[in-house]
Amino acid sequence: MSTEKENRINASDEISNENKSNADEVCEIIDIKIVPYRFLKPETSEKVLNKLFEIEGIVRGIVHGPSLPKTVYYGPARGTPVNHPYRKSINVKGQDIDLRLLVGDIILTVNVKLLNEIMESIEKILDETLSFKYILIIGIFTKTQITVSDYLKYGTNFENVIDERYIGMVDSRARSSETIKMI
Amino acid sequence: MTYNAQFAPGETKIAENRRKHMNPDHQLKTIREVSDEGLVRILGHRTPGEDYKKVHPPLDEMDLNDDPVRDLVEPIHGAKEGIRVRYIQFADSMYNAPSQPYDRARTYMWRYRGVDTGTLSGRQVIEIRESDLEKISKELVETDLFDPARSGMRGATVHGHSLRLDENGLMFDGLQRYIFDEETGHVVYIKDQVGRLLDEGVDVGEPLPEDYLNEITTIYREDNIGLRSDKELIEVVENIHTSRTEGGFGLNVFKDDLKKRLGDD
Repeated sequence: MSTEKENRINASDEISNENKSNADEVCEIIDIKIVPYRFLKPETSEKVLNKLFEIEGIVRGIVHGPSLPKTVYYGPARGTPVNHPYRKSINVKGQDIDLRLLVGDIILTVNVKLLNEIMESIEKILDETLSFKYILIIGIFTKTQITVSDYLKYGTNFENVIDERYIGMVDSRARSSETIKMI
Repeated sequence: MTYNAQFAPGETKIAENRRKHMNPDHQLKTIREVSDEGLVRILGHRTPGEDYKKVHPPLDEMDLNDDPVRDLVEPIHGAKEGIRVRYIQFADSMYNAPSQPYDRARTYMWRYRGVDTGTLSGRQVIEIRESDLEKISKELVETDLFDPARSGMRGATVHGHSLRLDENGLMFDGLQRYIFDEETGHVVYIKDQVGRLLDEGVDVGEPLPEDYLNEITTIYREDNIGLRSDKELIEVVENIHTSRTEGGFGLNVFKDDLKKRLGDD
């Protein structure tokens, strides 16, 4: 388990995704969103994520979906534990990830130069692992520039101190140590 | 000339299914059996075997003043006894659940007396005297108005009707009131409709097959039968829309009155 304070990889080693000072905007990363037709069980997401993170050129990934509450928050049964069997820990490449949601989409930020190879690898993995259809959408779905919510989370003057890949991975209500993992 | 109810417009299969639900002469197909006791436990309003709680004495014993309108109406059994009013709430998936919120509302209005129903986009509630509620719930759950995987009995935290289904084909439920038993292939309720854990699971049967659901569903979907392919329904909807718009402006109705008020006559 790692916190954002412990990961200070030199930002210049990473793929830069900010606008260059000249007139052309250089695009070095792009997002691929995987939308399966069904929500994934934790076991299936574990299989899929382990295989996906083996692909070369993946910078970061976000898993998105409806949240699974820990306790009932409304109604006569308020306060009783839910014990949802899908709200469990999965292991992706040695890191334990506590899933608090049902996996609906997986957004992978990838190196744009390797896009075609990555797309092919992803399709191959999904065709092998999933027994239902899925859609792949290419675009920009994650934040690449620092915004107010990052400042709210980290304070001021953090731009050169944290790993660039953490930009936009902020959930203002959750503890980042629980939701972000370095793989 | 006697009036024959037309129930609902539309020339497609979906419209026909809606008409069947509404038509009290159409017998709903019983597909599964759910134990009475199990249903009472899912409803969560009383423990099985307990007497119904009453909120007023039986109507015969009450000293009510004469009311010609009240005398016209035959009270339902629960009202006669003074039993309290309780509810059941359903959430129906947009992925071809057999019944949908407004379809349920109209079905209840046509088939049952004494119901108070409320319809929202994600849920549909029915409130009625508890004894009648249990009878009606039995019919609602055992017939083809209900699919164990794509309809859910949810009293609270109903979110999930518009979400994708999970790998087992079940509608998303944040409180996980029901699970898919992979050995038997049946859906089992492990919690009651508000999320309280049950001592024993209640088996509500096997989910209906996809093709069958596509035939009996009452929601228009582009990947099944789209709304725009039902010309008759579109015509009726447009008629209603135009009438309301023009009538709202009062163009042909209040024209003279408006002129008078403006002093144009």
